[in-house]
Amino acid sequence: MENLMIAATERSPEVEFDFAAGRLSLKGESYPEDASAVFGPIFAALEQFVAEAEGREIQFDFNLIYFNSSSAKALMNMFQLLERAAQGGVRVVINWFYAAADETMQEFGEDFSEDLEHVTFNLVATEG
Amino acid sequence: MTIPAERLAPHYRAFKGMLDERGILFSFSGYLSEGILYSLGDTLRQKMTLDDTDVTTIKKVFSVFIEQAQNIIRYSAEKVLGNFGKAVELSSGMVTIGTENGRFFIVCANTILEEDVPRLRQRLETLQKMDKDEIKAYYKEQLREAPDEKSRGATIGLIEIARRASEPIQFDFERIEDDKFFFCLKVSI
Repeated sequence: MENLMIAATERSPEVEFDFAAGRLSLKGESYPEDASAVFGPIFAALEQFVAEAEGREIQFDFNLIYFNSSSAKALMNMFQLLERAAQGGVRVVINWFYAAADETMQEFGEDFSEDLEHVTFNLVATEG
Repeated sequence: MTIPAERLAPHYRAFKGMLDERGILFSFSGYLSEGILYSLGDTLRQKMTLDDTDVTTIKKVFSVFIEQAQNIIRYSAEKVLGNFGKAVELSSGMVTIGTENGRFFIVCANTILEEDVPRLRQRLETLQKMDKDEIKAYYKEQLREAPDEKSRGATIGLIEIARRASEPIQFDFERIEDDKFFFCLKVSI
């Protein structure tokens, strides 16, 4: 399936989904006017990919600086999808990067990880 | 009210002085757009960074600012809509950010329809009574649930605001027309 590459905008994240390699990445900030317009296509591509990914390993890096509440909702939907995929035999590794001094992003990572039993969730503190 | 030219400076200095005395960093009143939200938010972060505000506080203030401004854009009862090549939606309201007693405060205000008052009041009262852990649990619960279609994500936005606040949120409603109220929400961080 075709890769999904979307450049970041002022208020939406950079998307790099390399499906062939099983490497996915969301990076930057997310507080768009309409979160469903931004996350709809991302979610659809992810859904299609995991449906055919049984037995494969997926690494998904989240390197987000800030996201608003409607983006948080969209992220939760993605995590639920990944959890179901992991339950169904896809090996899913999520790396949640956050700046070491940023308690807000650390807490979001911890909160999201609580719901994930079959996904390997790594909280990764970075400098700066 | 027309101000004579020779009184312009004192007049506007008094106006600005009134804001300065209240510790206001900046205040915006009028038609808000997503473009203004981005620019104000960016300037706010730059100012706090220059003042050596810690990262977590910057994040909290910024987050409350964004949620409040997006609430105005979505729910203000005073909107102008149009289409000149692209769809434009402008919503009237006010956002004020300042410091008092060593804390940041963010106030947003806008007009809302009377029919929307009871539901908003009930949501805010619920949040006001909750402690930090309850707010956090409520946030997670709402995040897991299917979106409430009519509110376009309002519930989770208000919970996010309450979650970042350092003391219980304050709000007030005042009737301004037969079917409209002035609503304001104050958050301290």
